Amino acid sequence: MRSSTRRTRIMATCAAIALVGGISTVGVVSAAADTPSPSASSTDSVLNVGILQDIDSANPFTGVAASSYEIYQMMYPTLTNYAAKDFSTAPGIATSWTESADHKTWTYQIRPGMKWSDGVPMTAADAAYTFNRVINGKYEQTNFGNYVANITSAEAPSPTTLVLNVSRPTPNMTHLAVYILPEHIWKNVSESQVQSYKNEPAAGQTIVGGGPFLLAQRVVGQYIRMVRNPNYYGKAPALNEVDFRIYSNGDAMGQALKKGEIDFADSLEANVFNSLKNVPGITTVPAIYSGFDELAFNTGAALDTGKPIGTGSPLLKDVKLRQAIGWAIDRQTLVDKVLGGLGTPGSTIIPPLYANQHLDPANPVTYDPAKANALLDAAGYKMGPNNVRVAPNGTPLSFRLNGRTNSPSSMKTVQYIQGYLAAVGIKATVTNISEDALTQKIGEGDYDMFEWGWVVEPDPNYQLSTFTCANRSYLSGGSITANLSDSFYCNSAYDALYDKQGGQTNPDERIATVKTMQQMLYDDAPYILTYYYDDLEAYRSDRFTGFVPQPAPNGALLFQYGTYSYENVTPVSATSASADSSGVSSALIIGLVVAVVIIAGLVFALVRRRPATGVDDDRE
Amino acid sequence: MALVAEPSAVPLPARARSGRRIGPGTRYALNQIAGSLATFLFVIVFNFFLFRILPGDPISLYTKGRDVSGARIRELQAQLHQPIWHQFISYMRDPFSQTAESVKYNSPVWDVIGPRVWPTLLLVGTATILATLIGVWLGIRSAWKRGQRFDKVTTTTTLIFYSMPEFWFGMILLIVFSVGAFGIPGFFPVGGLSTPGVDINTPAGWVDVAWHLTLPVTTLTVIYLAEYSLIMRASLIDEMGQDYLKTARAKGLLDRMVRQRHAVPNAMLPTTTLIFMNLGFVVGGAITIEDVFSIPGLGSLTVDAINGPDIPLLQSLFVLFSGAVILANLIANLLYAKLDPRVRT
Repeated sequence: MRSSTRRTRIMATCAAIALVGGISTVGVVSAAADTPSPSASSTDSVLNVGILQDIDSANPFTGVAASSYEIYQMMYPTLTNYAAKDFSTAPGIATSWTESADHKTWTYQIRPGMKWSDGVPMTAADAAYTFNRVINGKYEQTNFGNYVANITSAEAPSPTTLVLNVSRPTPNMTHLAVYILPEHIWKNVSESQVQSYKNEPAAGQTIVGGGPFLLAQRVVGQYIRMVRNPNYYGKAPALNEVDFRIYSNGDAMGQALKKGEIDFADSLEANVFNSLKNVPGITTVPAIYSGFDELAFNTGAALDTGKPIGTGSPLLKDVKLRQAIGWAIDRQTLVDKVLGGLGTPGSTIIPPLYANQHLDPANPVTYDPAKANALLDAAGYKMGPNNVRVAPNGTPLSFRLNGRTNSPSSMKTVQYIQGYLAAVGIKATVTNISEDALTQKIGEGDYDMFEWGWVVEPDPNYQLSTFTCANRSYLSGGSITANLSDSFYCNSAYDALYDKQGGQTNPDERIATVKTMQQMLYDDAPYILTYYYDDLEAYRSDRFTGFVPQPAPNGALLFQYGTYSYENVTPVSATSASADSSGVSSALIIGLVVAVVIIAGLVFALVRRRPATGVDDDRE
Repeated sequence: MALVAEPSAVPLPARARSGRRIGPGTRYALNQIAGSLATFLFVIVFNFFLFRILPGDPISLYTKGRDVSGARIRELQAQLHQPIWHQFISYMRDPFSQTAESVKYNSPVWDVIGPRVWPTLLLVGTATILATLIGVWLGIRSAWKRGQRFDKVTTTTTLIFYSMPEFWFGMILLIVFSVGAFGIPGFFPVGGLSTPGVDINTPAGWVDVAWHLTLPVTTLTVIYLAEYSLIMRASLIDEMGQDYLKTARAKGLLDRMVRQRHAVPNAMLPTTTLIFMNLGFVVGGAITIEDVFSIPGLGSLTVDAINGPDIPLLQSLFVLFSGAVILANLIANLLYAKLDPRVRT
């Protein structure tokens, strides 16, 4: 859920779009300036993490920001976890689980002897309470409804047994991302209060939780303090405290890492990331990530009822045209030029990070403009005047292409795509608009092509659902409302497979179905994936060690599906911590010197021009 | 003689007398207040329609990032898709409603705005006051010694800072004085308003906040300086040619007295307007500086709210901002009347 949206990482930076763009272009950031790191002291076991987006709520029923979910998973346990190594299912508070033969009941063995942070026993009853609250709640459904869609009821026949009854075979029962809440606290928060319940601690106390860390303090817009939970059921973390500090722009966050104000920075922009690369004491990590960007087509916008809508070019309904475009796009160059090499060329919609689900297509579409031209010729799109091809019905191959003003990489990508298309006789008119405006245009089918991206969850269901007929736009109160589908792809064979995987509780069988679906989308090309981008992270390796990547060996170190790094990070011993003052970038020095000289020169010149004509008396 | 005696000789009707009791000054004040209230009312009405022109769907904003079922989305839409006049009536009933919820932050708008107010006031308020004091002082000195070295240096320097992009100047200060460069140790923090774990309600906490605010306040102050010093300088130079100063000097007054007692009070008029106008804008925050120094103020909240758009939040912010500007304007006008009796008539 938290990542399966268009939020990608744009949200994190949207507050500062104009500004960050500005700063980056000035190039101030590439200037590196070091000071000795703060000496090792009692703050050694406090990990300071820089984030660009405040949590929007400490209440798991209300928050949606990615940073909020990082806090929730530190505070509250889940039944099962995603393993650090490969996203396979790992025990959480449940140590084992079984599905009944009729696929109607799941039984979880809950660890005995666990306690909430306030000492109250944590049992299967808390889990049953949480699930029932979501199932029977209204507001509670907003964040977690889709996880429990098939669950009819939850029971705790004993403190160590949880039974979940389902209406149909349900594959996601081994990874329900529902945070288990302490019943003795939340039963006092009524249905009507839950939406505005802040779940923030009073001074000197912590929020009662069951995860490795507890929320101790939140200062809106500034920082969030998480302290170690002494009653955590798992391995006790070496860290006493994890502080999240909020920065409004990536450049400042990079500077804070250099200074040692923070120990870890996530979601860095490429220019900041590169400026941190050779700084002593800092390790930079281009982690493989679950996000991709794509060139999407309007494959025939219609409502969920099938009624056509919008202004999309009918030519793009032709799968041959879309496939030919696939051969015209140089994905490797996009990775090199747009991402600065920090990513990999895109293929299918489940990123390679999820190694066991990702399909490497057997018929890879690569950069081959000659083949694109040949395919277009064969499909009847003959070259017309001004090097623009013409369809058999006489319409020129001229399309609108939207990039997003919220994302510099999006605007760059569409420039490249425009060039690639021109090279094969297709004209693209580029317009960059805001994501909000684009969402509306897409929902109404008022586009031909656009560039955007998704972040994909470990469970493929949500991502697959964005291509179903049912998730096309719909009518609501007389106006057209956008749904998940943004390509208006509609294929009954695909829909049948989607329903099938939604009932396959055998992981291997389900993966086979999911791979067939990926191949289908790859061949029908409602999307052409441009790239999978990396998550750019950096940390003070002179101060902390022991980060656990997810997946191994080159995945993200923090902001994972799980709290592995927080539980395993240890401070580096005081003796080895050192950093020396070095390299302010020469560009900055030259710039500053020039500025100082100009200012001094101006002042001097003006002063020299005296005597003036003004009042001369100075008779004080 | 007769003219003066007449009113006392012929008693006026009670109504007229009571009318007379409202002097021109009070009438002026009442007019100003009424005018401000009317402006504020207009703003409140305008406010409602202004943000409904923005593109974007509050439901898609609300459900952004959530795995929400189609049925639930439809339900939410049914709640929100009311005819515009319904919305208008319920809005006008209570424009400052405590229950209006920010769609993005999912809590009452005034709860969202509240914690953002004091960082903004601290940052922009302090900078504005400092810039006013220093700027006016510089302006007076420069005008009095027009054309001399002090004048040239200050005018040029303040103008240079005034024309610098705020974020660029802020970032330079941040790199030099926070991170450290050229052998200057990075003494100040990179971002935020306080150190995690430090209680800002203790003297140590105040020092911590002051330490955090030093660079951002300095940046803003230096950038704002020119605005005040130049206006002050120009209006004082205007006054300096006036005959009454000659008279004052002829009386043998000290130059300092001539300046402080005679010239400056008259030259303060345009500056007063500027100061109060700007105090009104203090609430609006300083988006770029808030951003460079990671200060959670109202400026960055507004940017957040526009990216949505979060209409209830925007509406409330807009009411707050315009209210502050109208109030500051009113104070400026009233003070102006006090300073310059001519405007009362």
